[in-house]
Amino acid sequence: MTYPEQLTELIEDFKSIADRMERLEYVFDLASEVNELPETEWNDSTRIQGCQSEAHVRVDVEDNTVQLYAGADSKLVQGLMGILTIAIDQQPVEIARLLTPDFAVEMGILNSLSPSRSNGFRNMFDKVMKELLEVE
Amino acid sequence: MAIQDDFPILQRQVNGHRLIYLDNAATTQKPAVVIDAMNDYYTKHNANVHRAVHTLAGEATDGYEACRTSLKSWFNAERCILTSGTTEAINLAAHAWGHPQLRGRAIVLTEMEHHSDIVPWQMLAEAYGNELRYVPVKEDFTLDMEAYEASIKGAGLVCVVHTSNVLGVRNPIEDIIRIAHEHGARVLLDAAQGAPHCQINMAELGADMMALSAHKMCGPTGIGCLLVNEETFQEMEPFMGGGDMIETVTLEGSTYQTNEHRFEAGTPRIAEAIGWNAALNYLGQLNLEEQHQRLLDIARHVANVLRTLGITVYGRHEDDDSAVVSFLHPTLHSEDFAHLLDARGVAVRTGHHCAQPLLNRLGISGTVRASFYIYNSMTDAEEFLAHVREIVERFA
Repeated sequence: MTYPEQLTELIEDFKSIADRMERLEYVFDLASEVNELPETEWNDSTRIQGCQSEAHVRVDVEDNTVQLYAGADSKLVQGLMGILTIAIDQQPVEIARLLTPDFAVEMGILNSLSPSRSNGFRNMFDKVMKELLEVE
Repeated sequence: MAIQDDFPILQRQVNGHRLIYLDNAATTQKPAVVIDAMNDYYTKHNANVHRAVHTLAGEATDGYEACRTSLKSWFNAERCILTSGTTEAINLAAHAWGHPQLRGRAIVLTEMEHHSDIVPWQMLAEAYGNELRYVPVKEDFTLDMEAYEASIKGAGLVCVVHTSNVLGVRNPIEDIIRIAHEHGARVLLDAAQGAPHCQINMAELGADMMALSAHKMCGPTGIGCLLVNEETFQEMEPFMGGGDMIETVTLEGSTYQTNEHRFEAGTPRIAEAIGWNAALNYLGQLNLEEQHQRLLDIARHVANVLRTLGITVYGRHEDDDSAVVSFLHPTLHSEDFAHLLDARGVAVRTGHHCAQPLLNRLGISGTVRASFYIYNSMTDAEEFLAHVREIVERFA
């Protein structure tokens, strides 16, 4: 699919890094990109179910614009949340809804996108998309 | 020729690095002899078992039944019911023996059990109101035997894991069985982790039922067994109905086989049984006791080095324990640790390892688990530790 410009640039950045551990290091760095959801606001409705780490996300929509708040005790999961933030935060809802999770594999940071307990990214992505689809 | 040369998959690269496979407590790799045996079956002998008279059916039946014979001999067991694995074996025990025999009777479990040895009994208890009594795990990672003795009175069954999949701790099975029998309770052993690491003599131990899987001992996935002593076997009632388990079927009703086929309805796992038999023959050529000591030395070395890096190790690695090293870094999440190790070609497992009550007792939500098996060497361990050092230096 065609990704938002900022995500396309990020995918190219990742593809230029040959060593997988360096790519993961870059994901760790992107953990700071999230609009932090403070731990005091973590609850059952924000929890990403089935995730090995404690991971939370909240999606607000104001004036048809997506606002993503997230946090996780896994730096890698929070880094992936940071990438998702770069991709859809402050985007119109109809644009954000078009995103598919394939970019995480294209970036060479995940082996699989199959929903599973070990796939915190997929579980997070599905939760965010479900909430966006529920927006009237 | 080194043992690792028998395993084709160990030749591959992962993320540009030599594969170091340390997820053996989840599943082991397969030697070429197992892959070849299954390939040979499908290439030359494939047929359904037991009833047809043609040549292929006879060869398939012989191959399937040879696995049962080998398992009985390997574990010195009276009866061997082939299942899809440990989980199905325990569920079979709960339905075929537990349902008719345990009504109203308490069941003793431990906090160390895998979910597959907890959930079937919780489901039984929901149906019949059985009291479930859990033996606690102490701070030294062993079972509280005083609490066990206090819990046994009036119980009909004790379910206990031979060797913990999280801690590698081998439980005092002999004492547990003796005490259970003194109080008239039967014992079911979850031997999924114990069977690959040591020779278990079921008759000598006196266990009544024992469940295990092929894939944790170099065999294929999708097959395991419930070993049962004769007295318990005669008390079991058919669980799944269908072909192969019947003697006669009329519109008015059915009669059932009296041997193990009574509990193996439908076409069984023929290729998998043939593969498992090949795995048993392969393991039989090794000195498992010698391998156990070698792997335990590796695990002890790994655990000691991890501790020097400020990492907490969950386990004790005493002589009978398995070569499992569960650990947790104080700041690096276990899932992150596993992703970073994977980037260096190291396969480990993370999470709760299907033993959430145990992890709750330990006060943690998950660990990184490195588990060693016969093809792992001290070189694997040193390379693994070098990658751990790199990760701690760069990411902690």
